[in-house]
Amino acid sequence: MTRAAQNLLLVFLGAAVLWITLVSGEYVNYVRPGFRYPLVAAAVALLALGAAGLRREWRDAPGHDDGHPDHDHPDHDHPDHGHGHGHDHSRGPRVAWLLGLPVLAIFVIAPPALGSFSAARGTDRAAPPPAPPDDGFPPLSAAAGPVDMSVGEFIGRAHEAQTGDPAKLQGVPVRLTGFVTPAGKGRGGWQLTRMKIACCAGDAVPFPVRVRGVPQPPADSWVRVTGVWEPPRQSGRTVVQTLRAHSLREIEEPKNPYE
Amino acid sequence: MSDRVGLREAEDELLPPADWGRRDPVAPGTRAALVFGLLAAVLVLGRTWLAPLIDAGALDAWTTIFVAVCVQALPFLVFGVALSAAITAFVPASLWRRVLPRRPGAAVPAAGAMGAVLPGCECASVPVAGGLMARGVAPSAALTFLLAAPAINPVVMVATAVAFPGKPEMVVGRFAASLLVAVLVGWVWLLVGKGEWIRIPSRPEAHGKAGRAEAFRQAMRHDIVHAGGFLVVGAMAAATINVVVPAGWVNAAAGDAVVSVLLLALLAVLMSICSEADAFVAASLSQFSTTAKLTFLVVGPMVDLKLIALQAGFFGRRFAVRFVPLTFCLAVGVSVLVGGLLS
Repeated sequence: MTRAAQNLLLVFLGAAVLWITLVSGEYVNYVRPGFRYPLVAAAVALLALGAAGLRREWRDAPGHDDGHPDHDHPDHDHPDHGHGHGHDHSRGPRVAWLLGLPVLAIFVIAPPALGSFSAARGTDRAAPPPAPPDDGFPPLSAAAGPVDMSVGEFIGRAHEAQTGDPAKLQGVPVRLTGFVTPAGKGRGGWQLTRMKIACCAGDAVPFPVRVRGVPQPPADSWVRVTGVWEPPRQSGRTVVQTLRAHSLREIEEPKNPYE
Repeated sequence: MSDRVGLREAEDELLPPADWGRRDPVAPGTRAALVFGLLAAVLVLGRTWLAPLIDAGALDAWTTIFVAVCVQALPFLVFGVALSAAITAFVPASLWRRVLPRRPGAAVPAAGAMGAVLPGCECASVPVAGGLMARGVAPSAALTFLLAAPAINPVVMVATAVAFPGKPEMVVGRFAASLLVAVLVGWVWLLVGKGEWIRIPSRPEAHGKAGRAEAFRQAMRHDIVHAGGFLVVGAMAAATINVVVPAGWVNAAAGDAVVSVLLLALLAVLMSICSEADAFVAASLSQFSTTAKLTFLVVGPMVDLKLIALQAGFFGRRFAVRFVPLTFCLAVGVSVLVGGLLS
């Protein structure tokens, strides 16, 4: 791998990261939104590094220098480097070509946020019910309109209500946003799911909520469902909480697909 | 020095022949511009026509996780490499000898303590440790720093406390076990390690101010393409494991004490999650015992596919085949001991 190829790869990598952070905004499919600034800084550093290398390459190119016949060693632009310490810095290993793969994946495949495929795979290791904040969940009122809450908060509250005082959540209309995951074999209804990521999509775990009372929209479509918590029939170890739905609206994918 | 030359020869055989792709008498600058234009055209066309057509659940999930791991690691890699290149290009060698005790036996725990203070990512700590060795720090102390920095720095401790609310023993256990493993590995390496096993990354000598800046640029580009290629290998492996391993296996194995510890140790190696995030994954493996989860947290930042690839890339394969099993066995053993004390 020549210097020119290495520098080109760095430029492409930087451009790809700038593309997903500043232009398309697709970076939220892969990492947490707060990670934007380190990514932009890294991309700018890569671009600067690659561009500086390419500029040097261009300036030192033999063809650029009139009457220089030496085309045999086009990448020996620094004859004083690469000799004498047993490690030639002008060439990278072939494994470095793999750096082109994420660039190709970003531009050609443009992978979307994790959807029902990953959620269905992960149902057996669903995220544990999130613990309430230190001063507990703020009280809810059944009288006011439906309460918007994250799927994680709903599962946390439902778990608290199931193990403690059910009156805290029972009968309160809530509105949840997530994507549709068809239920596995032998299970009723379908699931509204939101993936929870800690750091990047590699560690995503699903927050599933079973929905009853409305027909299932197509898998992977994003929906906003209004309904009330349905306490589990037997108080055993119920992993997936249930929402008795009143209404459902299909929506666009939210800006941040994860929680 | 002689084995380094031998390694270079072996590596050179992997490279294309010298005249490969050089038949046309076009200057490299012009050729680079042409290749750049062509690639840009391919990418734009692929984006417009091909991207909407490719849609299959498993492929999407694989690619998303693959890209996510790469994107997540990239800033840590770039700035870790920049730090390492800056250390080699601008910091005088004498400074490191002043900060760390001269006797390697005492330098090892000092390096472990440094790891507890400096926030470092796994990807970054490998080039930083390489830079330390190139600056004359004893390899055993640099290796202890390499293991301790990503495992016990403040960011990771806070993440662990957040992931295990109301269970401070998890934070304490992780800190104690990780530091113990890092120092033990350093001492073992000091006792039985041989210098010829490590290919210490060499740097071009810097001359003057312009020479230093040029050395910084060269070292950074060189390290990024090396480590980046191996990072991609690790990301591909992690994505494959995440999409292919049946989730049902987890439940079946969690019941057995020995199997669960070994399985989570193995999972930590295969999943290659960065140390800032692995506590949340461990917390989600709620079926497993405390000891098994502790093993996951201690092994993960020290031994995983991505790290093995990075270490092999930086220090050579002969280093990795000795260092990785030593670290893995010590990490599992110490975790079981500490986990037994806690529960």
